[in-house]
Amino acid sequence: MELTINNVHPQYIADTGHSEIWGRTLSMMSPHHLHVIAPSGSGKTSFIHFVYGVRTDYSGTILIDGKDISKMGFEEKALLRQKRISIIFQDLKLFPGQTALENIEIKRKLSPFHDRDTITRMATQLGIADKLSQKTVTCSYGEQQRIAIIRALMQPFELLLLDEPFSHLDEDNRMKAMELIYEECEKRKAMMLLADLKKLSFLESEKSLRL
Amino acid sequence: MALKYNDIKPLLRSERHSSKWVGIIGLTIGLVLLLLAVQMFTNIQSLLREEAPKQSRGFDYLSVSKSITNDNMGKDNSFTPNDLALLNQEHKITQVAPVYSNQFRAMATAGDVLPFSTDLFLESVNSAFLDTLPTNFDWHPGQSEVPIIFSSDFLEMYNVFAPSQGLPQVSAKTISSINIFLQCSGVRGTQNFKASIVGLSDRINSILVPENFLKWGNTQLAGDTSARISRIIIKVKDANDPKLLHFLDENNYHINKDKVRFGRIKGVLQSTVGALGVFGLLVVLLALILFAFYLQLTISNSRDNIHLLLLIGYSPGWLAKSFTFSYFPLYVTITFISLIIVSVIQFMLSTMEFTHTALSPFLSAPAWITVGVLIILILYLNTRMVRKEILKLT
Repeated sequence: MELTINNVHPQYIADTGHSEIWGRTLSMMSPHHLHVIAPSGSGKTSFIHFVYGVRTDYSGTILIDGKDISKMGFEEKALLRQKRISIIFQDLKLFPGQTALENIEIKRKLSPFHDRDTITRMATQLGIADKLSQKTVTCSYGEQQRIAIIRALMQPFELLLLDEPFSHLDEDNRMKAMELIYEECEKRKAMMLLADLKKLSFLESEKSLRL
Repeated sequence: MALKYNDIKPLLRSERHSSKWVGIIGLTIGLVLLLLAVQMFTNIQSLLREEAPKQSRGFDYLSVSKSITNDNMGKDNSFTPNDLALLNQEHKITQVAPVYSNQFRAMATAGDVLPFSTDLFLESVNSAFLDTLPTNFDWHPGQSEVPIIFSSDFLEMYNVFAPSQGLPQVSAKTISSINIFLQCSGVRGTQNFKASIVGLSDRINSILVPENFLKWGNTQLAGDTSARISRIIIKVKDANDPKLLHFLDENNYHINKDKVRFGRIKGVLQSTVGALGVFGLLVVLLALILFAFYLQLTISNSRDNIHLLLLIGYSPGWLAKSFTFSYFPLYVTITFISLIIVSVIQFMLSTMEFTHTALSPFLSAPAWITVGVLIILILYLNTRMVRKEILKLT
């Protein structure tokens, strides 16, 4: 997959002068990783949502293999989200009334990359195996974050979007989650686009751009 | 492993079930009324078809003459080429055959068996319009024997009056063995023939001779080449068709009212059943609207979950189809119940004496077609509506 971000300006941010992303042209190919660093309110989530095709309130173009994502139809976008792009939302977007396992299964059954046993293995790796049968509304934010990570890794993808995925995890759990994410990206030879407030210690060697 | 609607079913639920139940009850009542109307419509067709006169291979044959009124009394009331063209143009009439009459005098005597002598009227019609066509019903100039097809009604009439006149009664079998002496005379001369009754017709009330013979007699004996058409036989799909009857009335053509009296009754019954059908359809429509409201309400109540499903990659088309089709078993149950109710009514009707066992105890094809079309229509319309609602959430 090739991701091209071409002169993108959010319509609601007036000054994007110092950004290394807004108003610039950049291209990414599998299996590149890019770390987008920006303080709160500078448009990290907007940027991730633009790439995921959720929002279109920007000028410029975002191309997936040369195709403008803002011009894709509903079914085409659905297919893209099933097979090629996965995401961990900042606000997680879990079904509060469902258990952790049900939340993950809803995604896994849509386009299975792993079998059901992998859920337990990953949950054990991230320390939430005992939370799988618990409704997510009763889980802590950190636990929900790990459920959302596992959910995102259940499908095939060529691009993984992560929007502050470790904000409520301690250093030890961050490391475990990051290791798992790297391992899964490696399996798929996938790109990774991670947006966070600051450069994370274990991503020192990765390419990073300021928003 | 295929994705199943059951996996996401808990995410799409409505708290209010009252509109669903009203919709279900309404749909059942509406469907019963609609099916009943369709079935009754078919029943009327089949009952009155049984009463239709002179039916053969799905067609009715009617004898059409011109109405004699005070205005046209005494005038030439034979059929003109214009009349034939008009009848041919009417799409309710499948085929038209003119009936020619004799322009020469025909007198018959039956020898010693039946001591009588009478003037006869002879007619001829295209053989294709005869209900009985013996192989020897043919005549060529020079042939001394003339075959005759006699109306079975005439025979019946004769047998009623024969004893009072001191004449013997004759059976259908015997009549063919009676030798008739036929004397045909006109301005150009007289010729004697031997005639025999070769068949009896239930369809045409006349004494029919082969077309060749009548043509020969009219030209050779009477010197008439005008081929006067006394009446017309029409072949129609349904003798009781109100539109056909209206056409014939309008053009002053006369048919035996007794034969088509069911047409009038049929018109009234069909209107009544039609009204029942329209009412049933309205109830079905109202129930479907109510059901659509319920589906919309469910989508509205589950909009956060649907939005989230779309966000993680669920296809709006798949969601709409799965959501709508999840109600398919309900529609099938409603249809099944309605079919059972109407089938029981139909069975009871078919056993009643007045139907003369002319009714099938089973539902007719149009009723099944109505059910099939309705289910497909419900699923199609609901899928469209649900998809539209879901797309609003993208």
